[in-house]
Amino acid sequence: MMMAYSLLLVFLLPTLGVPLAYVAGRKSSKAAAILVALIALANIGLVLTTVPTILNSADHRYIESYYWIPMLQSEFTLFVDGISASMAIITSVLILVASLFSINYMEGKKNLAVYYALLSLLSIGLVGVFITSNLLLFYFCWELMLVPAYFIIGGWGYREPYRAAFKFFVFTHAGAVFVLLGIGAIYMVTGVTDMFQAQAALMGVPDIARWILLAFTAGFAVKMAVVPVHMWLPDAHSEAPSSMSALLSGVIISAGAYAILRLSLATVFPAVAGTTFGIDFLHGLTVFGVISAFFGSFIALVETDIKRIIAYSSIAHMGYVMFGLSLFPSASPIGGAVVITAAITGTILHLISHAVSKGLFFLSAGSVMHQTEERDIREMGGLAGKMSFTAVSSTIAALSIAGAPPFACFISEFLIFVGAFEVISVDGFYLLPTVFMLVATVFSLAYSLRYISRVFLGQAKNKEKKIVDVPNWMKLAMAILVIFVIVLGIWPTFFVDLINTVTFV
Amino acid sequence: MVDVFDVSLPIVSLVAFALLTVPVFRIIRKSQRKVALVVVWFSAVFLVSGAAVANLASKYYSLPSPQPFLNITLTDTPFASLSSGFMIDAISIYMAVLFIAVSAIVVFYSVFYIGFEKRPSERYLAIMLILTASLMGAVFSGDLLTLFIFWEAAAAGSSFLMIYRKSRVSFNSTLKYLVMIIIASAFIVFGLSIVYGLTGTLNFWAVKQALTILADKQLLIIAFIFITAGYAIESAIVPFHFWLPDAYTAAPSSSSAFLSALIDQGSYYVLIRVLVFILTPPGVLDWTIMLAVMSALTMIVGNLFALIQDNVKTLIANICVADVGYNLIGITSVTAIGLTGNLYFFLIGGITTALSFMAVGLINRHGFKTLEDFSGIGWKMPFASLALLLAALSFAGVPPLGGFTAKFLVFTAAIEANLSWLAVIGVLTSVIQTAYLLRLINYMYSKRPKEGTRIVESKRLLVPIFLLVAAIIILGLYPQIIFDLIQPSINQLDLIKLVSLVLH
Repeated sequence: MMMAYSLLLVFLLPTLGVPLAYVAGRKSSKAAAILVALIALANIGLVLTTVPTILNSADHRYIESYYWIPMLQSEFTLFVDGISASMAIITSVLILVASLFSINYMEGKKNLAVYYALLSLLSIGLVGVFITSNLLLFYFCWELMLVPAYFIIGGWGYREPYRAAFKFFVFTHAGAVFVLLGIGAIYMVTGVTDMFQAQAALMGVPDIARWILLAFTAGFAVKMAVVPVHMWLPDAHSEAPSSMSALLSGVIISAGAYAILRLSLATVFPAVAGTTFGIDFLHGLTVFGVISAFFGSFIALVETDIKRIIAYSSIAHMGYVMFGLSLFPSASPIGGAVVITAAITGTILHLISHAVSKGLFFLSAGSVMHQTEERDIREMGGLAGKMSFTAVSSTIAALSIAGAPPFACFISEFLIFVGAFEVISVDGFYLLPTVFMLVATVFSLAYSLRYISRVFLGQAKNKEKKIVDVPNWMKLAMAILVIFVIVLGIWPTFFVDLINTVTFV
Repeated sequence: MVDVFDVSLPIVSLVAFALLTVPVFRIIRKSQRKVALVVVWFSAVFLVSGAAVANLASKYYSLPSPQPFLNITLTDTPFASLSSGFMIDAISIYMAVLFIAVSAIVVFYSVFYIGFEKRPSERYLAIMLILTASLMGAVFSGDLLTLFIFWEAAAAGSSFLMIYRKSRVSFNSTLKYLVMIIIASAFIVFGLSIVYGLTGTLNFWAVKQALTILADKQLLIIAFIFITAGYAIESAIVPFHFWLPDAYTAAPSSSSAFLSALIDQGSYYVLIRVLVFILTPPGVLDWTIMLAVMSALTMIVGNLFALIQDNVKTLIANICVADVGYNLIGITSVTAIGLTGNLYFFLIGGITTALSFMAVGLINRHGFKTLEDFSGIGWKMPFASLALLLAALSFAGVPPLGGFTAKFLVFTAAIEANLSWLAVIGVLTSVIQTAYLLRLINYMYSKRPKEGTRIVESKRLLVPIFLLVAAIIILGLYPQIIFDLIQPSINQLDLIKLVSLVLH
């Protein structure tokens, strides 16, 4: 089924959801949560209606365009191609799950009407960032993620939430203003604000493109939280309510990676491809990727706070993604169409797998915290018997994060390494980093197993406390993600086919 | 045909209404329905003067051929371009529309904020109307002397708004302001006399033409320095900015809102008009680097001083200083995008500062002044806090609020003018801005007060505040509304450039 306004509706539904969720939330917070979940479900459906166009049309894109700011040559351009559609679908899945999870998880907290309204507001930015090709609109959505996330972390987080939220806001906003500078430069040099038109127009000005590339990559890397601009992540992820942590770790940092691929690499990079600078740039990404993977894994191995372990594991996984991105076909001739490689397929697939696995991981950690009111893993143990559902889903999440088959992250990591070996035959530089990354996977297995054994196995530390398994809505939320983690591990074909329709010029 | 009557109607009507306000208030105060009557009175004032502006605009745009400017003289001498009078162009029309609209909202806020029942509030409000009239005169003026008279009337007259509370602090800071203004006007008069000596005229267009063929530029440079210094003092460019935070903090919040949204923006307008369009047409003087350095200093100093403020009102006043710096970025490149940025910034910067002063004024009324006092205010006074929050996010340049588009335009203009370093400084200082604004937001929302401390906020004050909130959201989402108004000025810019190139 084809609808003419599918993508516009993807924008409008959550916008309508903001006041509706607030009004519904005043009466019953459960109604508001289900409303937000239904809107997310509708968005999944709307994006799915564009999939036939993507698969069958000649340029494998679906585009809608509306009147916006002619003065700045900007139209309200919404588009999806294989990568965008996959990311938009998985983002909506996580929003759906986060709002369902919140029904029980946030029970008894204050101002829940505002919470669900903010969640709906957040979802405009989260989905919007993946489905637009206009740079200004992209920036609108990019910053629209920031404000609601700030208030959700601050208003409903743990310990000193506003401090963590402050760090999150200032760091990522500082990154974003450099992106803005880059967008301004693109507009100034080329006179267009559409990323596909900009790509062609930038080919003639490699000197400026070089600076734009650096500004974009630095800005997006902050959101992606690779070392050395990761400082906001551990605080924000661990202090946020777990539903928000799942979105932060699953979607927001993935948006950073997506933006590096879409804007830095696919739009600006072709102008400098093949030059020494271009090759050095990609090698630089590799180095930061490897450092992040090791740094994140090491800290996760010694950290004792249940959510900080997972937060550091996110840094490690963004290291894998950065490594995958750095395998972008650099040796390709300028101007020729580049068929997507195993590495890029693997990287995008890893964003998807990581989103669902890490979402599940955070939700299960949230369940543990919710039921035990404890967050130090040294004080836990023996929960497997008492919280069997949470234990099983945690284990699945942890194994997927560790890269064990048949779970989601295994396939994607495997594809990244296949891509890496393809590239090694062209560029010998990648040999050592690839070996390092293979070693890093061992560490991710180590911290995942440590987490499972400390939390769920062994003897319970606090015997008197009566602990029961989580309520049903939380189980439902986790069950949805468990299904995704397993299905993606066994049958990733749907997303792989979608991603492989994309070609970069 | 646009004649003197059309141009002077907005000015004269505002002055007449100002004079009438005093007797009308006597009747209003005796009546039973004070509130309704005062609202009706000021609605009438702004409807009539708004209609006068609309009349002028429609007549100007219905002229058969597009003209870059329109000289209107009081006498029909053959040397029309040499005598004093008015000049209408697209920029002055835009500014007039902006002034009348913002002034209406701020006056309605002031009516209830200052308490119209008490004396001498009628004089205070009358002065606001007169100041709006003199700003109109300044934007319509066609020669340097008329501009000087109208503008100095507005600048000096605004000291009445600052001194209203009659406290020690306000006397002090008003005195400081007046001294600065007098020094500034002395500088400007001196500079203008040199310009007159060089060119034999004060008419904008004639001066511009005379300067393009001027052989010896030494005297012009001296005149330029004096005029720049004078206008830099009045628009609070670093290092001449120190009067502004004091004056705006000491003034009642309604005055601060009026000053920041109208007088401040008027001062940038005068700065741009005189320095960029008249005294430095292409090929006369190149002072881009000097402007860029002033702009960078203003952004840095304004933001760093805001960073260390404890009083919220002083913090906002320092943002006003920083805003001058962002505005100056736009001036550095006299191109379509730079001018668009400036004109858009006039509106958005003005209403955002006005909005935050109005919201802070509402909160200050209940005795909350410092950052410490503001803790938990988000729950005690949710509506005023929401407005302040949105204003802060707009300052920080977070889309979809208006401040984002304004900053995007000026940064892009800097890149276009080959001043990327200035854009980078602008970006870095706006990160500082984000930091201290978020500190404020953290104070407002992080500590939840005890139950039952909710304060009843005055609805009459919230209405004008939320009108401005709606404006920054709508104009941020659809800046094209304003760009359509600005477009004629851009066309005119090209025309002016073309003419001076031909002359050159």
